[in-house]
Amino acid sequence: METINIILSGLGGQGILFMTRVLAQAALDKGFNVMGAETHGMAQRGGSVVSHLRLGEAKSSLVMTGTAHFLLSLEENEGYRNLPFLSQGARMYVNTHSKHFPREKAKGLLDKRNIIYHSISAATIAQELGAPRSSNLALLGYFSAFNEGPIGYKDIKTTIDRISPKKLKDINLKVFEAGYKRGKNTKK
Amino acid sequence: MIKQEILLGNGAIALGLVESGCQIVTSYPGTPSSEILPEVVRFVKSEKLDTYVEWSTNEKVALDTAFAAAITGKRAACCMKQVGLNVAADSLMSAAYIGTVGGLVIISCDDPGPHSSQTEQDTRFMARLAKVPVLDPSDPQEAREMVGLAMDISEEFRIPVILRPAIRVCHARQNISFGPIKKNNQKASFEKNPQRWAATPRFRLILHGELNKKLKEIGKKFENLSQYNFHNLESGIKYPLGIVAGGIPYSVIRDFLSEENRTDIPVLKIGAPYPFPESLAIEFMSACERVLVTEETDTLIEYLLRDREKVMGRLSGHVPPEGELVPHVIHTLINNVLEELNLEPFQADDDHEAVQLVKDLQLPVRRPTLCPGCPERAAFFAIRKTRPKAIFTSDIGCYTLGLNLGAVDTVLDMGAAITMASGFYHSFAQDSIEQPIVATIGDSTFFHSGTAGLLNAVYNGSRFILVILDNQTTAMTGMQPTPALGIRADGSEGKAIPLERIVAGCGVDFIEVVDPYNIKKTTSLLKKAVTYVEDPKGGMAVIIARHPCVIAYPDKAIPHKKKVTITDDCIECNFCLDRFECPALFHDTELGRVNINRELCVDCGVCIQVCPKGAIVEA
Repeated sequence: METINIILSGLGGQGILFMTRVLAQAALDKGFNVMGAETHGMAQRGGSVVSHLRLGEAKSSLVMTGTAHFLLSLEENEGYRNLPFLSQGARMYVNTHSKHFPREKAKGLLDKRNIIYHSISAATIAQELGAPRSSNLALLGYFSAFNEGPIGYKDIKTTIDRISPKKLKDINLKVFEAGYKRGKNTKK
Repeated sequence: MIKQEILLGNGAIALGLVESGCQIVTSYPGTPSSEILPEVVRFVKSEKLDTYVEWSTNEKVALDTAFAAAITGKRAACCMKQVGLNVAADSLMSAAYIGTVGGLVIISCDDPGPHSSQTEQDTRFMARLAKVPVLDPSDPQEAREMVGLAMDISEEFRIPVILRPAIRVCHARQNISFGPIKKNNQKASFEKNPQRWAATPRFRLILHGELNKKLKEIGKKFENLSQYNFHNLESGIKYPLGIVAGGIPYSVIRDFLSEENRTDIPVLKIGAPYPFPESLAIEFMSACERVLVTEETDTLIEYLLRDREKVMGRLSGHVPPEGELVPHVIHTLINNVLEELNLEPFQADDDHEAVQLVKDLQLPVRRPTLCPGCPERAAFFAIRKTRPKAIFTSDIGCYTLGLNLGAVDTVLDMGAAITMASGFYHSFAQDSIEQPIVATIGDSTFFHSGTAGLLNAVYNGSRFILVILDNQTTAMTGMQPTPALGIRADGSEGKAIPLERIVAGCGVDFIEVVDPYNIKKTTSLLKKAVTYVEDPKGGMAVIIARHPCVIAYPDKAIPHKKKVTITDDCIECNFCLDRFECPALFHDTELGRVNINRELCVDCGVCIQVCPKGAIVEA
């Protein structure tokens, strides 16, 4: 089977590492071999952060440009920055407040490459639930509603339940659910 | 019972350490190596082992300590980042000659890129310089296995062995299976033998001869180390191109060749590059008309391949001489080589349009910044305000980002804030110029290598202000404890050593402690320090700016939250943005004033003291 490549992007402090861990663990539990690459150290201090996740028989932890099937971005510009990774027909899920997503300049390329894009104000959802730092879970929930990858809503939910720190488990699941519902409604 | 976990490469290395029966593990944190020791602690606790672990005060201390453990017959390891090995180099060179009794593995993590280091140096060359074997893993699983091999070779040949994982191994994640871990019950013993353990130059020559013999034997072993040094030549076939690869580039190339179904390009994998498996390399070279070498970060293998006419690599300009060999870089360079040799190219990557688009979008450059609420920001603001004309020497840690506030002028290496300040002082003093100098150093960096510089400054009459930014943790690398906290690597209690006592011990007479959140107090203390430094009867002045890190201690750092708001008194002078640079403050063009990003603001309230118009107020 072809390796499934996922890129997760955003800014340091937005919880990209946790999002990566959830997807990786959910994939492992479904029987995938997992390989991934993360950003630690200096770059985490508010800089651009990107995680690579590969499910299948990959040996290298880094995704080659033009071969990613999914891009989940916690910030709009960081989403654009990682566009070169996306393959033809890839799926892109972006957290943004902007009503003008995607930017006009980007739209042409996205359409040309048959990239299907969705945006959600994950930050608003998280904030409304009193957890402004949990946009990552809202975006995961939103992504799971489309059921387009090998790991779906139930897999991700079970994993969040299992690996969240005790203190955050309830709120994590709540924000995840809210994101999922938003995705379901969008899909309709 | 066998279980499976997704481990960080550094977790896989930690697993390899405990599986190899390593009894003593020492480390100083540094990206990309920092997670190894905490992962060892996790395994030690879950498997009920009695492995001794410590955060040492620096890498040389870590290596000396592990070396002594290894000459008692125990298995020991020390972990550090590649530039940490520079600090431990004195120890490494000598330990190679003396040799060990038990196993000694040095894990030195490289940072091609560089992502979080001052250089891209290649640890494999340090191994060559010290004349010790080095292993170069291509993924976490291999790194874990190589730890065991390194330990066995070290013990068999009584020589330190280096494992060199690059950042993409350390910070890769991979699912790893493992079973129960057995405890190693090797007891410590020390047989006196001063001719070896305290060898004088005459005996050093003999030891050097022994070392050379060991390397020869290990070289033979590496020729036949078929799990890590191997090729896939088919006998009798001549190939127009072969690829020699080690470390991460090997993983990338193996993926490419299998995706492209290319059986016409053989690969020689070198996982154990020194001592170099020369016969294996000659065998490979003689079957290939040309050979492309891809390795990180420098040219070790390329130098060691003798037939220069055949070799393509960094020296011939076929491989970029700096920067990380990420997949698209390797893809491009291989395609260039295939084109040059008139061979069938790889499928073209069609990312050019997207790359161009990203350029056209002119995305904002995200420079790393100090966190919202960071106490170092407040300290830097006060320093720059009080001594605007000073030379600001600084050091390695989060607070290097004081750059963004115009309060950091130099960063050389660990401890250089103090030593360079001395150099600046004497250079200007020689010309009778009173140049103000303010040095900033973090608490952990001060423990690592601040004292020697401070002693030197006091002894040799330097005059400058040293501000120790004491956030009570090693923040940049992931919140490891410092000796001032009295908490050890495994969470147990240690003796806390206050910074004040060390500074006093270095002979400093002006020592003051201040909370940098109070900018007014910090400023007045800095002024007092200026007077002292400039007074003929004065001397070195040290201010300890003490406030807990907002990430490590969110509650303790901001005990009284102050919700801040910005009034219409804001005249858009942007002073707060330029000089305070808090990520939670931004210029709101719609409102025509500065505004607060509530997602980022942590309600520390420090910015209230910053606005010259008093427009930042408590809500």
